[in-house]
Amino acid sequence: MLRRPGCLLGLYFAVAGAWAQGVTLPDATRIELDNGAVLILSEKHDVPLIGVEAVIRGGAVADPEDRGGLANLLANVMEKGAGDRDAGQFADAIDSVGAALSARANLEVIRVSGEFMSRDADLMIELLGDMLRRPRLDARESVKLRDRQINQIRAAKDGDPRSLMSIYGNAFLFADHPYGTPQIGSEESLARIRHGDLTRYYRDHVGADRLIVAVVGDFEAGAMAEKLRAAFEDWEPANAPLPDVEAAEPVSGRRVLLIDKPGSTQSYFWVGNIGIAINYAQRAEFDIADTLFGGRMTSLLQSELRTKAGLTYGAGTRVRRPSRPGSIAISSFTKTDTTTTAIDLALDLLEKMRAEGFDEETIASGKNYILGLFPQRLETGAQLAAQFAELEAYGLDDSHINAYGDAIASADGETIQGVITSAYPAADNLVFVILGDAQAIREDVAKYGPVTEMSMTEPRFRPPPDESTVAAD
Amino acid sequence: MALFAELRRRNVLKVALLYIVASWLTLWFVRHTGETIGLPVWAETVVVILLAIGLPVALFFAWAYEITPSGLRKAVDVDQTQSIVYKTGQKLNAAVCVLLVLGALALLGERFMPTFEFPAVPVFGPPEGDPPSRVKTPPDIRSLNLDNGLKVIVWPDQDIPNVVMYTFVRAGARNERPSLTGLSHFFEHMMFLGTDKRAPGEFDTIMEAAGGANNAYTSSDVTVYQDWFPRSALETIFELEGDRFENMAPYPEYVETERQVVFSERRSSIDANNFWRLHEQMYATAFVAHPYQFSVIGWPSDIEAWTQEDLESFFETYYAPNNRVVIITGDVTTREAFKLADKHFAPAKAAEPPPPVRAVEPEQQGERRIVVEAAAQTPLLHLAFHSGRAADPETLPMSLLLSILTDGDSSRLHRLLVEEEGIAVSVGAWQDEGFDPGLTYFYLTLPPDGDYSAVEQRVLEELQRVADDGVSESELVKARNVMLADYWRTLATIDGKAWALGRYEVFHGSYEKLFSLPDRVGSVTLQDLQAVAAKVFRANNMTVGVLRAPAAEEEE
Repeated sequence: MLRRPGCLLGLYFAVAGAWAQGVTLPDATRIELDNGAVLILSEKHDVPLIGVEAVIRGGAVADPEDRGGLANLLANVMEKGAGDRDAGQFADAIDSVGAALSARANLEVIRVSGEFMSRDADLMIELLGDMLRRPRLDARESVKLRDRQINQIRAAKDGDPRSLMSIYGNAFLFADHPYGTPQIGSEESLARIRHGDLTRYYRDHVGADRLIVAVVGDFEAGAMAEKLRAAFEDWEPANAPLPDVEAAEPVSGRRVLLIDKPGSTQSYFWVGNIGIAINYAQRAEFDIADTLFGGRMTSLLQSELRTKAGLTYGAGTRVRRPSRPGSIAISSFTKTDTTTTAIDLALDLLEKMRAEGFDEETIASGKNYILGLFPQRLETGAQLAAQFAELEAYGLDDSHINAYGDAIASADGETIQGVITSAYPAADNLVFVILGDAQAIREDVAKYGPVTEMSMTEPRFRPPPDESTVAAD
Repeated sequence: MALFAELRRRNVLKVALLYIVASWLTLWFVRHTGETIGLPVWAETVVVILLAIGLPVALFFAWAYEITPSGLRKAVDVDQTQSIVYKTGQKLNAAVCVLLVLGALALLGERFMPTFEFPAVPVFGPPEGDPPSRVKTPPDIRSLNLDNGLKVIVWPDQDIPNVVMYTFVRAGARNERPSLTGLSHFFEHMMFLGTDKRAPGEFDTIMEAAGGANNAYTSSDVTVYQDWFPRSALETIFELEGDRFENMAPYPEYVETERQVVFSERRSSIDANNFWRLHEQMYATAFVAHPYQFSVIGWPSDIEAWTQEDLESFFETYYAPNNRVVIITGDVTTREAFKLADKHFAPAKAAEPPPPVRAVEPEQQGERRIVVEAAAQTPLLHLAFHSGRAADPETLPMSLLLSILTDGDSSRLHRLLVEEEGIAVSVGAWQDEGFDPGLTYFYLTLPPDGDYSAVEQRVLEELQRVADDGVSESELVKARNVMLADYWRTLATIDGKAWALGRYEVFHGSYEKLFSLPDRVGSVTLQDLQAVAAKVFRANNMTVGVLRAPAAEEEE
């Protein structure tokens, strides 16, 4: 007989409290194979699905300087036939079981993301192994895909410019630095890629020592570990060392890239500088600040530019956090004749935030917002697999997630203010990328700094070096 | 102190403790089984009142009576030397402990036991594989019909400590008329901008401060409001939603500002986007009688012109509770959700049902063609055929057929046009699934020098081939698997669950139909696919649209 049933209740409430936080990773098994490949497995049985994320470290930063888009093209060509299956058979094998398995390059990794029904695990692990280890890299398929990707970029330029602003922005901000290379490449850089470039990249930068496979879903961990081990334990490492990227220097002063889209009724802008890296120490404080400045409906940017002024449908920040400091930018759009009105307002808000920060009540609201929505970011097997793989790829431990809730909750106003002034650029050190009807806005945007101009139909995302009129500050 | 000692001696305190613990267990039991045994929402309140009345009675008896070896006696009559109150006290202690352990186990069980286990996965194996097994409606999805006509559907799921609320309003571009196009979409924007009680912007401020986020979208058929929030914000969200759906008030100065916001949205989503530019013209061409011809975001003249009165009357007509359905999924019990719905959603008054959409699109009498000229590096080719409504039996075969034609790199049209012949950059398709018969829509992006007439001919040949020869058994199995996997992917998140329940409730007449989807997919035959292809893919039923650069530019 229990003398103090109260203890049991106490235990219950402690457990319930931990659950209520909801910002922790589930238990996972991490296995490092002798060849350097890392396997991460976690069971999850709510639906009969399995999510897999295989990551090859390296990514677009390993693209040769004039062949941007190589890693991404390679990732896509790896889907075009592997092992015993040609392109058609490989696609058929995936589609026949209603699975998804696709590859693309990010800045610092090639990602293969898959989601499939648990009963198809054997087949899908076989396809994943084939794709990574035995891609056919067929020359005809490569050329076909390359030419199609060039046309897809052209098609994207016929579409909503919102999707392209970060590409133009990073390309202009980082210039020759590897972080400036568009992951998808440009029409021009893709056209330079030959079949030999693909096989060389594959030999140099794809191998067991770069591999992380995270699997989360409806399986038995022991059996799944055996499948993955069998698929990858005898794989060789890549030939070349992992590319090391140096941190880019922030831009001082201002410069402007004007991209002409004749007849455009609206102007799109991306205004930014070098920001923070993925391992930024005050990440929680930064996230709070960024949520309040440009990360939600009631953020400073959105409420002033949209709700109060009616200048735009949307305004916010764009933050990219690779292993070295990436970019941090304000992005929005407005009708042509209010181009500078909107940009000026955005700059005023940046200065206002840097000078005054946010009051306690607003900070508390931002914390609740981040904590309240966080669990939905790690809800499915596929989301969790991607998160596990990212942590491993960037050398971060579980505390990146598991201690995040506490870090958000305990962030104080003073530290947040310090982060704001160090992470966000001052309004006089900014790169401006503005896309619109150049004829109508050319004179107005000159006030922001020396203007370089290019046309949207040029087959690249940055002006060619010889045409640049930018004077170094 | 003497009184306290006597209270202790007579076991009154222990009886009180036992009573409270037993009450707590009783309430817990009522709350968790009430739905299963069909108790009404107010039953819990009644139990609380009865238990509260019972407490003083129990204490009085504990004081006044005592258990003796010869039965129950008045305490004052019991000889103190013969009293067994100590023994009774020990029994009471034991009872309290047993109940506490039961309670603790119940709570732990509630936390750690999954509330609903999905039944065995239906399997569509290779062609000769097993027939699909049955998927039943999960037992703990329940719905409540409020007196004002609002239906509330709840799917509890404790996987993450979050909740999703979707509100489907049966109002969309379909309910509009010339010079008022885009009003449903504009109204969706206004729903965030003030009520009789709250100033514009407060809705978002309060929701985000409570840890919630929201969005909304408008289609030709419905306007859907979405909230995502932590469990802790439950009552806040119910209150916010109850308020805006009951008391929405368009503030004139915000109407003007928001008009500009919507213009900005239109410029980016339609004017600067060749795909949607052509799409807008396609619907305006394919429909002549039915309001599906209207652009959801609205024609520019109408965005400029709608008035305060238009907004107010739209709210009166379409936003009454009897024209809405609310779906709640996530970390919530049906009981608490129903209680909150009763408190915050019941006050809104029912209204006359909105006027029906009487227009029926007449049979098309020959193919229609349009050209849109716009700056473009890559021409676009769209083909649209009149087809059915969501609830029609042909909808499922058509979905499977479109999957075979355009889903994935192994699909027929992708393989032929994109991979093998290289005459298209991409191809895709969808089928409208609305209240009224919509379109089955193919869209292709061509390379810069693409020959849209030739590509059109190839697409039509392939569609004719399906109508003439049907598809293969293995293609049908593939399409079934794609649909089944999509089904599970949708149900993997509380957001997907809310969306799926709402769609089935609104467009198919009942959310339960969602769970028969795997069975229904399994029973579609090759003949069904061929029949729907023959019925829909006819030249006289077709609208073809091309978007290309102006001719003058081409000559340069």
